[in-house]
Amino acid sequence: MAMGSSRALLILSNFKFKPTVSFSSSSSSSKSFPSFIRNNFRTRNFSAETSSSLQPPDLPRLAETARISLAPNEVEEFAPKIRQVVGWFGQLQAVDLDNVEPAIRADTEGDNLREDVPETFENKEALIASVPSYKEPYIKVPKVLNKE
Amino acid sequence: MFHLDDCWKAVKVSKFQSFSAQFQSPSTNKQGEFFMCMISYLKRNGVLYCTMKSSQSQTATQEKHQPPKIKVPQHALKKTVDKITRDYEAIIGIETHVQLSTLTKAFCSCPYNYGSQPNTSICPICMGLPGALPVLNSKVIEFAVKLGLALNCKLSLNSKFDRKQYFYPDLPKGYQISQFDIPIATGGYVDLDLPLEFGGGHRKFGITRVHMEEDAGKLLHSGNGAQVDLNRAGVPLLEIVSEPDMRTGIEAAEYAAELQRVVRYLGISNGNMQEGSLRCDVNVSIRPIGQSEFGTKVEIKNLNSFSSINRAIDFEISRQALLLSEGQGDQIVQETRLWEEGAQKTITMRKKEGLSDYRYFPEPDLPEVILTQEYVDSILKSLPELPEMKRRRYENMGLSMQDVLFLANDMNVAEYFDATLSSGADLKLAANWIMGDIAAYMKNEKLSINEIKLTPKELAELIASIKGGTISGKIGKEILFELLAKGGTVKGLIEEKDLVQIVDPVEIGKIIDKVISENPKQLEQYRGGKTKLQGFFAGQVMKLSKGKANPGLLNKILLEKLNAKS
Repeated sequence: MAMGSSRALLILSNFKFKPTVSFSSSSSSSKSFPSFIRNNFRTRNFSAETSSSLQPPDLPRLAETARISLAPNEVEEFAPKIRQVVGWFGQLQAVDLDNVEPAIRADTEGDNLREDVPETFENKEALIASVPSYKEPYIKVPKVLNKE
Repeated sequence: MFHLDDCWKAVKVSKFQSFSAQFQSPSTNKQGEFFMCMISYLKRNGVLYCTMKSSQSQTATQEKHQPPKIKVPQHALKKTVDKITRDYEAIIGIETHVQLSTLTKAFCSCPYNYGSQPNTSICPICMGLPGALPVLNSKVIEFAVKLGLALNCKLSLNSKFDRKQYFYPDLPKGYQISQFDIPIATGGYVDLDLPLEFGGGHRKFGITRVHMEEDAGKLLHSGNGAQVDLNRAGVPLLEIVSEPDMRTGIEAAEYAAELQRVVRYLGISNGNMQEGSLRCDVNVSIRPIGQSEFGTKVEIKNLNSFSSINRAIDFEISRQALLLSEGQGDQIVQETRLWEEGAQKTITMRKKEGLSDYRYFPEPDLPEVILTQEYVDSILKSLPELPEMKRRRYENMGLSMQDVLFLANDMNVAEYFDATLSSGADLKLAANWIMGDIAAYMKNEKLSINEIKLTPKELAELIASIKGGTISGKIGKEILFELLAKGGTVKGLIEEKDLVQIVDPVEIGKIIDKVISENPKQLEQYRGGKTKLQGFFAGQVMKLSKGKANPGLLNKILLEKLNAKS
């Protein structure tokens, strides 16, 4: 199955990932994605932003909920870019869907099911070893007050 | 103005009857919860106190006697609270999470066992490690369909999973796989009967939806940090959302109890609130009677038992009603409150800023969930007799509502009862034995009905033996205990202990003669007017006959002989 979500992240390649809950781990790294993707993005000729009824997102709030930190200049810089992306997808609004049944999902196969048979994962030690802060038998985490 | 605490005391006091009755009622007394309420009545100033003791929880839930701040007669307080709440209608809805008793988790093959060592049942999938992909457990669909059908829902033959995204330490992937806009089941209802001590009555409550999702891990707070155990992460849940049809705390508690009954009957969960396999969050709002707009909705969490559901809702209704009646309705805000078992009240959680944005989108890693009509039909055929059907069947057989509610509450008890009947036992007698002596034995020895040694067949035999006169009722009760503890057959015990009832009048007469001749003094007293001594003679005859004399015959012949010579 395609990991559709990770592709979306590639597009917003320039953002730094900085979780506000600070784990002392190496998981928060900013990757430098191949520059050709960026270039492709910038030189692509977007068709005129359709006067779509799609609202541009409240960027600071969106960044907060996604735990991505943006400096004010970055907010200013990215807001129009994101609007353009949304507008670009907004072209789909032009399609006449009057005679089309809404599909629940894009794929056509169903059912990839598994029998209810227990299997112990063999290398649990490696899993535990990869935990940044582990105090037997628990995973240590900072105190978080608000469940979002 | 009355202090809220005093009003609440009055409400509690006036409801103590319901409390103590409630915890004796089989339909609401669950899983070892034990709550005693003692009242000491101070005659001098006519104020009632309530002391409550719970033997279950670690934190002391014992309320000490509190000197009243305002010495107001109890009935006045009670009347005021009742009067205030009577002007309002409460609208209650419940969200229930049922932890499924599958052998493996929802999306990976890790086993789940409640109480195992932390972080021992984990794998890359339920830990949310990069590259791991979820694969749905087919049993989850089966259990979801079973529940949807049992709750009279419409099943969506095509549904999907969605990602509910938020950050929290017990949520490894940063999102929960759930079902957002196309759940597997919608538009159902439950039928139930309210316990008699609350006025009885039939109720029907709507079910908005049932959907599949996965559980998060367990987060334990400690010191200035916290600890996470991922054993539970990925365990399958079914979320049941009710229509806001309940109007009182007891209706809500019974709704939850019925859900527990249903999931246990279906065998999809052990539905244990104390263990967390059945969790309820309640939404309460009130509005003046006659108003069509809803009031502000308040969510209550941390409800660990059916009685907490009942009490928390009643408290919250009173709290909101008092505020509204004092013109402080704006103090009721949409928020989440926690039920404090010790203080017996709801308190504000830390206020959230704004509504959560979960950014739902279809889970790209899971295919559509497709059900065929044949599959659904085959599951429908395999459903056991559900609690509501059983209750109606027992009612039609002629049992009283009280008997019906008791016998249908626990599926195993109902099965035992049905088996006893099919061995030929008399309906009412079977019900009485099970609800009376057998239930008492189970409670004392802390056994379930599957663990007692008396089989339904032997119970039927016991009932027949007494009914047919082979043994007396008293003897029957005596050997019951042995049958429960050690098993064996009724016929065998009767023979072994020589318990056959004596029904030959001549033989009884001989024993009576002997007793009379051995007690001349009492005979004289009897004939002198002390007719109460008949009991003494009867007792002696019973003793001599080792309890085998038929009581009816005994007394008849005894009376004849005692009155003969005078």
